[in-house]
Amino acid sequence: MRRAFSDALVQIARQDDKVIFLTGDLGFGVFDQFITEFPRRYINVGVAEAQLVDCAAGLALEGWRPIVYSIASFMTGRAYEQIRLAIGYHRLPVLVVGAGGGYTYADAGVTHHAKEDLALMALVANMTVVAPGDPNEVAELMPQLLRGDGPSYIRIGRFGEPRFESAEPIVVGRARFLSRGERIAILTTGGSVIHALRAVEQLGREGIRPTLCHFHTVRPLDQAALGQLDDAGAFVVVEEHGVQGGLAAAVAAWCLENRRAPRVVRLGPGDDLVLGNPKQQQLSREAGFDDNGIAAACRRLWSETRAAA
Amino acid sequence: MTNDTGLAQDEADVLADSSPAGLAKPISGVATRNSTIEIEALRERAKQTRATCLAMSFLAREGHLTSALSCVDILVALYSGRLNVSPQNPRDADRDRFLFSKGHAASAFYVVLAQAGFLPFAELATYGKSGSRLPSHPCKLMLPPLEISSGSLGHGLGMGTGMMYGMDLAGRRGRVVVLMSDGECNEGSVWEAAAFACAHRQERLIAIVDNNNMQAVGRTNQLMGDATFEDKFQAFGWGVRTIDGNDIAAVLDAVDEAPFQPGRPSAIIAKTVGGAGVSFMANDTAWHYKVPSADELRLALAELGAAPLIEVPA
Repeated sequence: MRRAFSDALVQIARQDDKVIFLTGDLGFGVFDQFITEFPRRYINVGVAEAQLVDCAAGLALEGWRPIVYSIASFMTGRAYEQIRLAIGYHRLPVLVVGAGGGYTYADAGVTHHAKEDLALMALVANMTVVAPGDPNEVAELMPQLLRGDGPSYIRIGRFGEPRFESAEPIVVGRARFLSRGERIAILTTGGSVIHALRAVEQLGREGIRPTLCHFHTVRPLDQAALGQLDDAGAFVVVEEHGVQGGLAAAVAAWCLENRRAPRVVRLGPGDDLVLGNPKQQQLSREAGFDDNGIAAACRRLWSETRAAA
Repeated sequence: MTNDTGLAQDEADVLADSSPAGLAKPISGVATRNSTIEIEALRERAKQTRATCLAMSFLAREGHLTSALSCVDILVALYSGRLNVSPQNPRDADRDRFLFSKGHAASAFYVVLAQAGFLPFAELATYGKSGSRLPSHPCKLMLPPLEISSGSLGHGLGMGTGMMYGMDLAGRRGRVVVLMSDGECNEGSVWEAAAFACAHRQERLIAIVDNNNMQAVGRTNQLMGDATFEDKFQAFGWGVRTIDGNDIAAVLDAVDEAPFQPGRPSAIIAKTVGGAGVSFMANDTAWHYKVPSADELRLALAELGAAPLIEVPA
């Protein structure tokens, strides 16, 4: 996703001479092409996240289209005050980029965990929040966010995540139906979609056919997509995010408001600190939100929903 | 260095040198660029500004008078034609950008904006009232001629550096002038921005620190240690000038002479008196929050010898 991001950045900057990129001293070697082509539109503010965002807000007030970039935990947590007021209160079209969102850096320690990035950003006035599932979504969503007239956040992972193909268009605010099935709907955001796709493949061999609906946009929530899931008796929501303020919480609130009462099962990391420096894959396996964890939850629900029917 | 009042010696000197109630001492009229007549007129205007701030505070039951009164002379000086801004063309691309970062002192800013033609005088009476365009902390969304909204300290300088960078990139003329309080400079973000401005050689950026040495609950030099603003900004690579910030002529001179060093941003350390102009408020931290009673308002207006721009019901 990181490479897709830097490639898309160069493409966008070639088309829009107002795009300006600011980093909090991160991305060694990643932005060399951009720096070569647009030296004055690249600013490394140093390890200074408050300045990163305030400066970008000032640029936006002057009509520029700033993109700010740092590690997701620092980008969203450390600079929250600046994002909330300098960007949010001023209604400025700044694109905030959190690299290594969720538990991408699980093994780097708690300082680098960003399990609250989506929740924090969704609290900022009018902010669009996206967590792409693969490099294709990064490449498609970025230019759309930069064409919008409000603030936005994009969570990107690391290098070399797998891509998936689908005929479903990639449009900000619209969930993608990656498989159509019955009884169970798996809802994903961010990189968890890859686990879910593998789980669906596994389950298909067993005759279990859940629907898979991927929400690269967490805010605004695609309510129309949720409305198409009437026949599902159970939602399995998979997110690499904290319990509060992520996709599962948004879906649960939507269900209550719309008198829908599916069984909602959230798969994801728990509430507590993650100590012991696990690898990202290990964490998702142990916390039960990887391929096998999703498949197991679906099997359970498949038999339960059949019994109920 | 502190004396028995607990003030740093240089602050105490400013107090001692100032005329009663901390107003600027009379200027000699010699060897300044600005005519004595002009300065006298501006000093009269500043009295009117102060009187109106007091009336607004009284009507709105809203405090922060020491913060407002301390920066009146700076604001009057800037809006006397030193800033290239115009109510007829408030978004002119080559205008000077003035960022009022010490948002809690809004009353003074609103009065000066009205005196400069950006607001009708009558609107000042709505200050701090529900539905007003003039809340106790300035809101750009409601008052578009403002460059920024403020109220949370420590954003103005960083945003100003971004504006300056953007203006340079676009080939815009114009300066960026940021007014901060000294308490505001407690915020680390101010120093992140100060380093950035130096690194990018922003010589058309001017930061003015309203150094009244008063905070909400204490004295700046006691809370932050005895390193001076001069030392700090110099260490961050800025050109620095210290002035009597309640002396309009001194403010005008400093703004005219910036940049103080080529290729460097400029810091004007404006030594001021919190509550300047009203003897019983001057340098009294209680008046950071207090609102004048009817008697206190009468007393203060009589001392200023100026009438507010808005009516105060008897």
